[in-house]
Amino acid sequence: MKIMVAFIALFMLLWSSTGVYAETLEDRLKTLEEALRRQEQTIAEQQKMIEELKAEIKQAKPPATPEAAAVGRPAASEQMQQEVRELNEKVDRVVEAQRKTLPSEFNPSIGLVGETIFSYTGRGSSQTGSDRPGGFDAFQRSVELNAAASVDPFAKAYVVANASADAATGESTFNIEEAAIQTTSLPWNLTVKAGRFFAEFGRLSYIHDHELPFVNRPLVLDQYVGGESRTDGVQVNWLLPVEHYISLTLGLGNQFGGDVPPNNVGDYRRLGGWNYWGRLSSYFDLTPDISLEPGISGLWNPRTNGRGGPLLQPDGSTLTERERRLVGADVALSYKPLRNNQFQSITWGTEVLYSNNHYDAADSSGNVLPSSTVGSLGLYSYLTYKFHRQWSTGFLFGFVEDAQNNKAKAYEYSPYVTWALSHWNQLRLQYTYTDYNSASAAYGLHSNNAVYLQWAWIIGSHAHGWQQR
Amino acid sequence: MKAKLFYLLPIIVLTGIICMGTMPAYAAKIRVVATFTDLADFAREIGGDLVEVHSLATGVEDSHGVPMKPSFVPMMNRADLLVLVGLDCEHAFLPALIEASKNPRIEVNRAGYVDCSLGITPVDVPKTTEHYAGDVHPYGNPHYMLDPVLAKTAIANIYNALVEFAPQHKAEFTRNRDAYLAKLNAKITEWERETKPLKGLKFVSYHEHWPYFAARFGMDFFGTIELRPGIDPTPRHIEELIAAMKAAHVPIVVREPQFPEKVPKRIAEQTGATMVTFPVMPGGVPHTETYIKMMDYIVHTMVAAAQARK
Ligand SMILES: [Zn+2]
Ligand SMILES: [Zn+2]
Repeated sequence: MKIMVAFIALFMLLWSSTGVYAETLEDRLKTLEEALRRQEQTIAEQQKMIEELKAEIKQAKPPATPEAAAVGRPAASEQMQQEVRELNEKVDRVVEAQRKTLPSEFNPSIGLVGETIFSYTGRGSSQTGSDRPGGFDAFQRSVELNAAASVDPFAKAYVVANASADAATGESTFNIEEAAIQTTSLPWNLTVKAGRFFAEFGRLSYIHDHELPFVNRPLVLDQYVGGESRTDGVQVNWLLPVEHYISLTLGLGNQFGGDVPPNNVGDYRRLGGWNYWGRLSSYFDLTPDISLEPGISGLWNPRTNGRGGPLLQPDGSTLTERERRLVGADVALSYKPLRNNQFQSITWGTEVLYSNNHYDAADSSGNVLPSSTVGSLGLYSYLTYKFHRQWSTGFLFGFVEDAQNNKAKAYEYSPYVTWALSHWNQLRLQYTYTDYNSASAAYGLHSNNAVYLQWAWIIGSHAHGWQQR
Repeated sequence: MKAKLFYLLPIIVLTGIICMGTMPAYAAKIRVVATFTDLADFAREIGGDLVEVHSLATGVEDSHGVPMKPSFVPMMNRADLLVLVGLDCEHAFLPALIEASKNPRIEVNRAGYVDCSLGITPVDVPKTTEHYAGDVHPYGNPHYMLDPVLAKTAIANIYNALVEFAPQHKAEFTRNRDAYLAKLNAKITEWERETKPLKGLKFVSYHEHWPYFAARFGMDFFGTIELRPGIDPTPRHIEELIAAMKAAHVPIVVREPQFPEKVPKRIAEQTGATMVTFPVMPGGVPHTETYIKMMDYIVHTMVAAAQARK
């Protein structure tokens, strides 16, 4: 009986699938035939009109000497001749269009981004916490290869590969920053993305370095998120089916942020060891020129299992992270006069993050101390004023409490000027003063000055992504 | 027998629900989103009461730089047809908006993606795909809508898309289109007559908006203030342009309202030319709410400026 049922089920499946296949193939053939027929019809119609008009012109213009015709030609026939010329042009165009083929039809669109940063930092790397040396430095931060194409009618895929020099060895390491597939035709306003990608969290953490409004990622994003919000996992985005723009994103992945190793490497990982995140964002036109874009985000990893290993504290004790929790609220207020938006705009963006992590603690000799939960706060706020098609200037303020020790605080102040010769060639000059309080100084960090000159370029294909709005 | 019916019931109900879901709502209008106001105007003329038309641009924007507002997204999400200029004119904002709006009907190559440049042979196609050629005209000049004869291609494309989407209304669309074409053709004859004294008239503009317009009315489009489409002028380019304009006695500088007045004004002053401000889509300046009104405005202003110099 069971075999019978299975056989029937299999038969049904085969039958239905071949049916579907035949139907789609037939449909496609029909569509093609239809398109061809329509084109032929258009040409035939146009030809017919030409013939008719020619005939009309002949009638309107009795055989005469060319000069006489030119002098006494009625306006109507002149217009008709004009129309004949137009129609002839049109027919030529249709024929021409049919001949044209796209040379790169089967290639993905490929672009390359390069970014060099020349800098001067007042203190050595041991006192700035940066992996770049102090003093004068030139840093090829990225050579980024972007490739994107549709996979089939249901999905598209893209890859971002990045090569950058290691600060210590100078060796270039090539790695895949992003490689993801994304659906294009799911119903109910859904999009699913899977692979390695920058998870949608907050406002700037899923934007590539060279697309930031300033040279460096704000301290709080480096600290709490780990730079870019890179993850290996899956993310679902839903555009709510309402008149107003509301976007909801939920995702899960095994790593979050580019700077730390994933947790539980080589161990047995339960679903509790994954990262879960979400983001809800909206948009309001306050006036045609002024808009407000608020969003909230959350990240939770219930069991980090010592991600990053034991973290050494100034007093010799260690903290081992067990749970990671991060929430954020962000808002962007922008003034873009419709008529002049290419020449003038003001954007004010702010993001506030609250980190609440759970740690196991041990003293310097390894004795277990009571575990602790540390809540810490950080934010950044920037204002960019564009006053020319090529020029903009702005100021970034940042503040962060250390995620392990909220007494340790850092502030950053960065004025910057950007000169965008075109949208593939951009120079930026930035000054940054970083101020550490005494609790931070216990970690060896000292206030310092730095100047950066960033030169970024794009060759090949480029897209204006949704994030760049 | 009853048992069989009992099993069939859910299937019948499900089928009913699916059919209802795919059935067009009869009272609803055809939802058209156009990128620019001229295309929206045409869609309204052809679609009449059967369509509900929105335009992304209000008319004053740079056609290559309409702000990507998330408020466009729900509107595009519901659209049946997306009408665009094409030739990559909308490259800086439309692809990302299409992706964000998650509407398979209006994706590239779908029936709802109405590229009005189909049938247009663009001029000034760059010989190289390298960015050396400039920024915003990779497939040639996309500003064919400023030639009212070529604009008829857009009308044909919009008409075809509407007929394909709602064949049951073909008669009405045809009637509307023919009525509008009659009006437009009469206007074209009028504009050709009015611009006759302008044959050979040289002019420069800020952006490369006017080669199709100039070719239609027999004028001489002399050059642009921009170095290349989308690339700001360098001081040297302005110097050279001024020298060339003086040598060739170029009498008119056209400034499009989305560009600052300062540079065109200075060039006009230094060359003795007259500066005029022309919209590039309906609504760009007051009293140009429709395509015909806009062309009227452009032709009359041009003629008046040329005559005032005599
Ligand atoms: Zn571009
Ligand atoms: Zn242009």
